[in-house]
Amino acid sequence: MADVSKNLKVYTTYGPKSARGTKPAIVAKMIEKAKRPLFVVGSEVLEEKLLARAQAIAKKGIPVAATGHSIKGFIDEEGVDAKYINIHFLGTFLCDPKWAGLDDNGCYDLIILLGHKKYYINQVLSALKNFSDLNTINIGKHYTQNATLSFGNVTPEVHLEALDELIDNL
Amino acid sequence: MSELKTGTFSVSDLENVQINIGSIVGAIEKTAAEEGEVGLTVKPNISGLRDWDYKLLERYNPVYTPMCDQCCYCTFGTCDLTGNKEGACGINMEGHNAREFMLRVITGASAHSGHGRHLLHHLIDKYGADYPLKVGQTNIIAPNVQMVTGKKPETLGDLEGALSYVEEQLVQLLACVHVGQEGEAIDFESKAMHGGMLDHVGMEVSDIAQISCLEMPKADENAPLSEIGMGTIDSEKPVLLVIGHNVAGVTNIIDYMEDHDLTDKMELCGLCCTALDMTRYRTEGGDVPKAKVVGTLAKELKMIRSGVPDVIVVDEQCVRADVLREARKLMMPVITTNDKIMYGLPDRSEDDIEDIIDDLKSGRDDGALILDFEKLGEVAPRLTQEMSKIRKEKGVVSLPTEEEFNELTSRCVHCLACELECPTNLPISDAMTAAEEGDLGPFEILHDKCVACGRCEQACPKDIPVLNVIEKASQRVIREERGKVRVGRGQISDPEIREEGVNLVMGTTPGIIAMVGCSNYPDGTKDLYRIADEMLRRNYIVLMSGCSAMDLGMYQNDDGETLYEKYPAKFQKGNLINVGSCVSNSHITAATIKVAAIFAQRNITGNYEEIADYILNRVGAVGVAWGAYSQKASSIGTGCNRLGIPVILGPHGSKYRRALIGKPYEEDKWKVLDARNGETMDIPPAPEFLLTTAETIDEMMPMLAKNCIRPSDNNMGRMIKLTHYIELSEKYLGIMPDDWYKYVRNETDLPLARREEFLKKLEQEYGWDIDWNKKKIVSGPTSKLDVSAQPTNVERLCKEA
Repeated sequence: MADVSKNLKVYTTYGPKSARGTKPAIVAKMIEKAKRPLFVVGSEVLEEKLLARAQAIAKKGIPVAATGHSIKGFIDEEGVDAKYINIHFLGTFLCDPKWAGLDDNGCYDLIILLGHKKYYINQVLSALKNFSDLNTINIGKHYTQNATLSFGNVTPEVHLEALDELIDNL
Repeated sequence: MSELKTGTFSVSDLENVQINIGSIVGAIEKTAAEEGEVGLTVKPNISGLRDWDYKLLERYNPVYTPMCDQCCYCTFGTCDLTGNKEGACGINMEGHNAREFMLRVITGASAHSGHGRHLLHHLIDKYGADYPLKVGQTNIIAPNVQMVTGKKPETLGDLEGALSYVEEQLVQLLACVHVGQEGEAIDFESKAMHGGMLDHVGMEVSDIAQISCLEMPKADENAPLSEIGMGTIDSEKPVLLVIGHNVAGVTNIIDYMEDHDLTDKMELCGLCCTALDMTRYRTEGGDVPKAKVVGTLAKELKMIRSGVPDVIVVDEQCVRADVLREARKLMMPVITTNDKIMYGLPDRSEDDIEDIIDDLKSGRDDGALILDFEKLGEVAPRLTQEMSKIRKEKGVVSLPTEEEFNELTSRCVHCLACELECPTNLPISDAMTAAEEGDLGPFEILHDKCVACGRCEQACPKDIPVLNVIEKASQRVIREERGKVRVGRGQISDPEIREEGVNLVMGTTPGIIAMVGCSNYPDGTKDLYRIADEMLRRNYIVLMSGCSAMDLGMYQNDDGETLYEKYPAKFQKGNLINVGSCVSNSHITAATIKVAAIFAQRNITGNYEEIADYILNRVGAVGVAWGAYSQKASSIGTGCNRLGIPVILGPHGSKYRRALIGKPYEEDKWKVLDARNGETMDIPPAPEFLLTTAETIDEMMPMLAKNCIRPSDNNMGRMIKLTHYIELSEKYLGIMPDDWYKYVRNETDLPLARREEFLKKLEQEYGWDIDWNKKKIVSGPTSKLDVSAQPTNVERLCKEA
């Protein structure tokens, strides 16, 4: 089992509230329980090994918000429901209860994040932390303080192992 | 009796008596009458343009992404504001973040205006208050000043009033930061907009003063090219490095070097905007630049650590706080020349030149504060020659030897502390491993991406000087850093606006892309080249300034040309212009103001709201600050925003903690009035935002095209803009954008070559009614094409209102 719940060291602090560490099995359970999960992938997901995992997660039936130019990795993938959106816009809309979502079926209740620049996603998540009730989980390889739950700082190898475990549990 | 005028006069019969009259009671009203038609907002105070700001903020909502969830402004605190809680004073997270953003904006505006005040004092002292302003072929010498203050400056002395207004307003804004003042986020936002507007006035004062006096190019499309890059510096010669933004003192150094035949005997080079302005000095008419540009802020520590400079002169803004500490280790004396940066150095302004040089070359002092520019002009070049000999004799080297380099890379234990500390999490550990195996490639890539902040070194538990390792490994690529940058030309001329204004408003020139700001890029400097080249090939006008202007010149195409050599520099489609340094950004907003004044014959004098409304609805311009890092960048951007110009930042821009983003799904927000009759018109969501970030340049490319769309586009213009939006989305994202149909008003807006394909899509995917015999859209679009419509957000401008 990949232990990704340790090394929650922060190098600069955002304030008193920090993400709790989490594990692939817990993430899988939360996704299963969620009514409207959204899988938000950033451009760093286009790295070959990471993309394969991201596609596998998407194929479990979780709609994908592809930010940056990450949509390139999801076009024509069978069984994947992916749409492009700018992450700053997405963060804004997610804080608005009136937003109908990417598919006009209403707002989301769980956000899962992968493949983002750490400093960038931490900023976007600070809006969700302060101005929404959404639960957010970062399953990237860097601990992200402003998420609700986050993997710790892990090596690329451990990270891939953890994603495989998550996929197996979904 | 003749009427008193401002200026200077002598009293006859009295020797050596001269009376200066600065301003006269009632003069503003009198001048206003002389200026002709004057708008409603001459020198607006903090609440003067509040209604306009509220209109913008209603559509473009402030989005806060706090970087610190606490407030520690007063002794009630520290207060935890997480979750938009209120602190002890009653302010909530939104209000506090809006306040912080405003503070950032007025800090930036103060930096530019403080620079302007220093420069203006210096130039008036040297050239006199009556010295005429000369900025090129124009009847509107200072568009921002005229629009905001209602005055048309003609002399250096006339600029004092504009600057005094800016300074007074900045004090009023700063007062609002105090605890117990403003409490609502929306009014902090309006105040931030006010600060941004003031910034463009302050910048304009700074730049037109120096253009006029220092023989800089004046709206010259043939401004010369200057050398740029660390590889252009001949380290065999004595090297004098200047860093900062205020060229005032450096001109004395250049003059001394020319007068003493030193120009070819030593290297004078610069970092940041002082470098750009040095190359503008006395190049009016095409003369060869008298100095070289090393590069941006990202090169500061790299250049010092290279050990190449013999003496460093700093002035103000964007100068690292550790220049003296770093230079001291390498026996480089540092001369500070401006009271904004003094580094604890002794004030030698009144001392004898020989004594100063002796104390510095002997090492008795690390540096000196010299506020007397005549003295600076002589000390700096003479000391550089002396130090070059001394430093060569002593064999001062900074970067590690081959052996030391090998030891350092093998010392790394790959704990990743440096990577986690690095602002962009660069893969330093892998580069160390590759270097150990003899592959320097990964370090060479890091050299371009690294902004040389040095935080990795502070984090390393093994005390590896990481930056030195990167720089040692990258010597080959550093030697090849040789480019060309076009010298800043200042304003856009009236004839250029007269020719191009119609194309911009109708949309047949698809837009202005203004690439401004600093060098904190997410993925290296080449991104700028890719953006500019793509948009220039598509006939956008690309305007450059500051650090972006420098970095663009660092890359050549396959024919060995930089984009400055490849593309002409007139203000027309497909041209590439460098307006100049940081303060030259005012010429970018000025160009849009001049479109309203010259093409549309709008009165700009004291008429901010009407002009901003015109620009928002009709001038397709987008600012790009891809590497913005500074407070100044936030004030420049906010000044653009109040004037209706949207700005896109790179991902680091999220750390400004505030964006202005529209919601395309809120249909009632995307309406304007038709000024002909006051009727409401639906418009597409463009621009979609006033300030946002993009994750990658691939993502930004289609955003640029989309956000140049304006309600006033004619069918040809809309077709051109929509074609670029769709093509760029397909090229960089691999998809047809899902909102393209919102920008279609009738079939003539559709890209010509693919009209039938798109009509089918509109019918099948969006349920629009198409007449296939005539190939026309029968129903479907929400906005109508009416080329005579006059879109406005300001009710009073409507005839029937």
